[in-house]
Formats: sequence, structure tokens, C-alpha cells
Amino acid sequence: MSLGNQTGTIRWNHLFSQKLFSNFTLIHSMYDYRLGTPEGNANSFIWTSKMQNQSGKADFTWYINPNNTFKYGASMIVHTFDPGHAKGTGSESLFTEFTLPHNYALEYGVYLSNEQRINEKFLVKYGVRFSAFQNIGPGTVYNYDQDYNVMDSVVYGKRKIYKTYKALEPRLGINYIISNTASIKASYSGTVQYIHLAQNSTAGTPLDLWFASSPNVKPQKADQFAIGYFRNIKDNALETSAEVYYKSMHDVIDFKDNAELLLNPQLEGELRTGKGWSYGLELMVRKNTGKLNGWISYTLSATRRKIAGINDGRSYRAPYEKPHNISVVLNYEFSERSVLSANWVYATGAPVTFPTGRAVIGNVIVPIYSDRNAYRLPDYHRLDVSYTLKGKNKKNRKWQGEWNFSVYNAYGRKNAWAINFVEDQDNPNQTFAEKTYLFSIIPAITYNFKF
Amino acid sequence: MQNNRINIKIKALVLLGSAMLIFNACTERIDIDLEESYTRLVVEGMVTTDTLAHTIRLTSTTSYYYSETAPAVSGATVTIDDGTSVITLTETEPGTYKTPTDYYGIPGRTYQLNIGLATAINGHETYTAVSGMSPKLTLDSISSVYHEDWGSDGYYEIKCYVLDPPSTDYYMFRVIKNGVLVSDSLTRVLVTDDRFYNGNYTNGVGIGFLNQSFEKEIVTPGDDLTIESSRITEEYYRFISQLQIQSGYQNPLFSGPPANISGNISNGGIGFFAAYPVSYSKTIASGL
Repeated sequence: MSLGNQTGTIRWNHLFSQKLFSNFTLIHSMYDYRLGTPEGNANSFIWTSKMQNQSGKADFTWYINPNNTFKYGASMIVHTFDPGHAKGTGSESLFTEFTLPHNYALEYGVYLSNEQRINEKFLVKYGVRFSAFQNIGPGTVYNYDQDYNVMDSVVYGKRKIYKTYKALEPRLGINYIISNTASIKASYSGTVQYIHLAQNSTAGTPLDLWFASSPNVKPQKADQFAIGYFRNIKDNALETSAEVYYKSMHDVIDFKDNAELLLNPQLEGELRTGKGWSYGLELMVRKNTGKLNGWISYTLSATRRKIAGINDGRSYRAPYEKPHNISVVLNYEFSERSVLSANWVYATGAPVTFPTGRAVIGNVIVPIYSDRNAYRLPDYHRLDVSYTLKGKNKKNRKWQGEWNFSVYNAYGRKNAWAINFVEDQDNPNQTFAEKTYLFSIIPAITYNFKF
Repeated sequence: MQNNRINIKIKALVLLGSAMLIFNACTERIDIDLEESYTRLVVEGMVTTDTLAHTIRLTSTTSYYYSETAPAVSGATVTIDDGTSVITLTETEPGTYKTPTDYYGIPGRTYQLNIGLATAINGHETYTAVSGMSPKLTLDSISSVYHEDWGSDGYYEIKCYVLDPPSTDYYMFRVIKNGVLVSDSLTRVLVTDDRFYNGNYTNGVGIGFLNQSFEKEIVTPGDDLTIESSRITEEYYRFISQLQIQSGYQNPLFSGPPANISGNISNGGIGFFAAYPVSYSKTIASGL
């Protein structure tokens, strides 16, 4: 298995005047991943899924006066989805090549926002973004009846726009300054997400699939409310904050029970739509100065879903719900040239569905499952340590180099990537749990240089 | 004038980044505590057009780590009603209930299985299941081809020739070699809908595959190869497909989210009571 992420960015900043600043960006990004089985068998194969974006955006900042900062801009993204391509590997392969049809979409956004200082105590930010999303041909759209059976399909030609979604995304933030060292921030934002991620929470293999909004898949809408208290202590040496949030989501997608995912051109028929909500508390302490600096954060959260046709319509945990999340980042600067860093993360194991019973039917052990996502993988934690040694800063030298020595997963925690239940080869009546993990300790030495 | 005061600053920045991660997975056994869900009745059985003692098997569900064969459910009253008569099955060994040996199903009839348990399971003493029997479809002929280049030791493919009716149909195929059933579990049978050839002549579509790496499936030229073909209901087709997905037989990498298989047993019972016509087609294994 492999996954890759490639990004290319070109950015151009321009100052039209002392008061009008602009920023133009072109971004190309590609996300892909591959899954495969070892070569040499009749059923060896490799499966690739790809998502590409080309985007351009222009952002302007207009410093109207000391009390108002006005920002506006526009963006456009061209999405190309290559949802799946399977090919047999090796000469003994049984598989012929199979490609799921590509699909294409355009996304646009225009926004206006203003940051306004009302008086010494109040700072408000308000704005609105208008966004639109269009599916563009060539593409094939399957029409489903109310039971999600395919009725027929429509093929759209090149450049034909066959579905348009539009939305207004408002946001409002209020910052109340209590004193030199303390403030309260409250915010609301309404957002629309046109690209969905559906996670297959199978105990077997976690598989992420991206879905574009389409005639069958509505964009996901969310409303988020947050309020936080921010306070600096010890002469601003320590920044502390506590924030609570509540987020309500509509048109959330998930896979139905017994979904068929393997190279199914009618994948949208395997989705069900419902609502989701999440809430949480975030605590943070940050130290920016001194030889020892870094931050510690803790998040307590819950994320649930309720979707007709999944878990008998009862609410269940979202596949990414991790109630406890701790992150510790510490740097110790021995000198300007030499820094030791440590990074520790801890998160509750991701929700999964496990068997809680079994039946034997047709000489096959058939698992009887718990509610959707009722169990969890073992907790995830990991420590990374790195030491950076920068080269001497010689004045005539046009480049600057640095050595980096790092250890990923320093104490070799075998974090579970998946849990499978397998039958014992010697006793087919016996089943046991098997954990798959991807990395243990990974040491690395790199040399970076800038010029 | 005005232009002179405009301070033009152009800064172009090109960033190119690329990251690629390759993972190699390792596995190890671990202990996972699983709660035990409540016990349910498991029903398995069918009525076919063959004249023989048809079997209904009653067992119960167990905890997932249970390491014995499934416990039999004994002492039940089991009847099958085909709309014209009702027959009572006899328990021949614990959990196994049989019809008389001269019993056979008739296409077009609807069969209802009625089960009365001696003691309730999951709060229910009676369970029922209904299955209609589709019309018979007999294959014109079958043939076999050896593919030397499939898999490490080659495969025998059994091809089928028949005119598929214009209706949407579902089929199940089992392979019998020299009188011995090779497709001896529900994960080894081949089920298919007629999506790819509906209403057309299936000019040699593969319906059975014998992997020459498995001792049980090794074919010697001259062997007697028989296909048992059954036209099944959509409900039973979905049941077998789900069972094959959930038991990870098809492809564990791409199995869907874990979910319980939906059968046709009432009152939360698990399993399936099927009724289908069968026909047999024979060929002699070709030479290598």
C-alpha cells in the first residue's frame, strides 16, 4: 500500500498601493493511493485511486483605515477524479484492466469580509462567501429509484455542465477584549463542502473514497458555533486558551450496510445520506519564548451521525471520532544552530465494527456484528524525536544547509492500522483477532539546503 | 505623478513539494475483548426439484470466539407448506430435520417453512420463512477449457451455452467432479445475475472454475464434470452475495462495511430457507 501527495504552488504578491495588497496563487495538487496484493498469484492486482486539483485564486486586502480591514477575493478549482483503476500484476494475473470512469467538476468562490474595530473592547469580523460547484462532462450519471436501484443512466458529452449547486456561506466573529492579557472570542460560520470523504470503517481495511457532489450526492452543509477564553500569563510568556464548539452537519454521507466497493461504477448507490453533529472542548498552553518552547493541547470531543438505512436508523459514532486527543510539541534550543524537538501524540482508537457473535451457514462462519462503529481500535500514541544542526552562517556562502537526525515512533509502538478476524488454519472452528500495523521505529538522516 | 508614488513590489515564489510514502504492513495476533450478543436461531435449508430427503438444519448463534461446531437446536416441530399440502419433517439427528425421501419441489409453487421451537430463542417460539420457486432453466450444453496461464498451476473453466430469458434472472452454479461436490460451501458456489447477457445466448460464459493448485479441484482429462444449475430468487442471490462479501471470500481488501446478512427468516432469525429448481449438465474434461 502506498499513498502520495504532490503539490506545486506558484505565488505572486503585489502591492498596488500602501493600502491595497494582493496575492495571486496557482496550485496544482494530486492525491493518490495504491493498494495491492503481492505479485505472483493469479489474483495479484494493484488498485489506484487519484484526485487532482488545479486551482487559481486572487486575494486582496484593503486597509481602509486603522479600524477597518477589508478582504475580498475569488477562486476557481478544476477537479479531476480518477476513482479507481485496477490492473493485474505479473504474468500470472487473471485480471484484465478495469477503469472506473473519470469525472470532472468546477468549483468557484467569491468572498468579502471586513475586520472592524468598534471600540477598545470590541473587534468584529463578518463576511460572506458565495460558492458554486458544477459537474462537467464527459460523465455518466446513474439514476436511482427510491430503493437505490439503478433505473437508467445518462451520458453527458464533453464540456456539458449537468449539475450546478450554489450556496452562501456567512461568517461572524466577535472578539471582546477584557484586559491586556485576556479576551473572549465567539464565532459562527456556515460552510458548504462539495467534496466528500467516505471512510469504509471495515475492521478489515480502512479505505477512503472521495466523492464529488453530483446529481445524486448533495453538498455537505455545516453550521459551527464556538466560544473561547484566551489568556496570557507570566508576562505573556504563556498563552492559554479554552474553547468549546458545536457543529451541526447536513447531508453527511456514509456507506450502507453490505456496500459493494470494489470497482463498482454505481458507487453512489451504495451511499446513504443523513445528519451529523459534533461538539468538544479544546485546551491549549503555548510557550513561544525561551530555550524551551512548544505547546500542549488537549481536545475532548464527540462526533455522531444519524443516517436512515445505517445502524437501523439509530445514531452512531462517526468513523473519525477520537474523544481524547493530546498533542505535545517541545523544542529545546541548545544554541541558534542546534535544536532538539520532541513530538508526542495520543488519540483514542478509531471506531470500528466488530463481530459479537457468529452463525454457521453453508459451512461458512458468518459474523454477527455489533452496532456500526460500536468498538474501537486500540489507542494510538507515538513519540517522534528530531535533532537539527544548522551549518555555520558564512557571509559569502549563497546557500545554507542543515542536518536533521530523526526517529519516528521512537518507542516502537505498533499502532493498529486494522484489526482482522481470521480463521485458524489448523482449526477452522477457531477464530482470532489479528492486528495489522504499518510502521515501527523509523530512524532517518536528512540533509536540507536552501539557496 | 500619482504613479510615481505607487510602490511596486513583485515577489514570485515557487514552491514544489512532493511526498510519497510506501507502507509495508506487518501483522500479529492480539487479544480483543468482544461482548457476547444475544442468541438467535439460525436456519439453513432448501427445497429443490430433486426427489430426495430435503434437509432443514437448525442451530443457534454463539459468541464469536466459540471454538466448536454450532450448537444444534433440537426438539422443534418443522413443517413445509407448498399451498396444497403440508408435510412434517423428522429430526434424524440433533438439529437436522428431513422430509420423506420421495419429496420434491414444483416450480411455480410457493413454499412456507414453519418452525415451532421446544423452548423460545430470543423471545420467539415460532419462526417462518417463505420462498417462491422459479421456473426451471436447463442449459443447452457445457464444455471445459484448460487455461494453462491462469494461476500458478492453471485453471479448468467450465463454459455454459444457453438462451437467457428476457426477464431479470439470478443463477447459482455448483461444480460436481466425478460425482463429488466440489462447491461444498456457500462461499464456493458461483452466483450471478444476468446483467451481462440478459435475453441473449450465453455463448460460452464461464460458470465454474477449478483451480489446479487445490487437490480437491484437480482435473484429469476424461473426468466427469457436472454443473448443477439453479435459477434462484433475487433475495437468495443477495443473501449468498452478502455472505461471500462478509466472509471475506471475494476480496478482503474491498469488502464493504461490516454488516449483518439479511435472510428471509422471521422474528430476527438468521439464515435462509430457499426453494429453487435444479438441472444438471455434464461434460467430459478435455485434454490438456
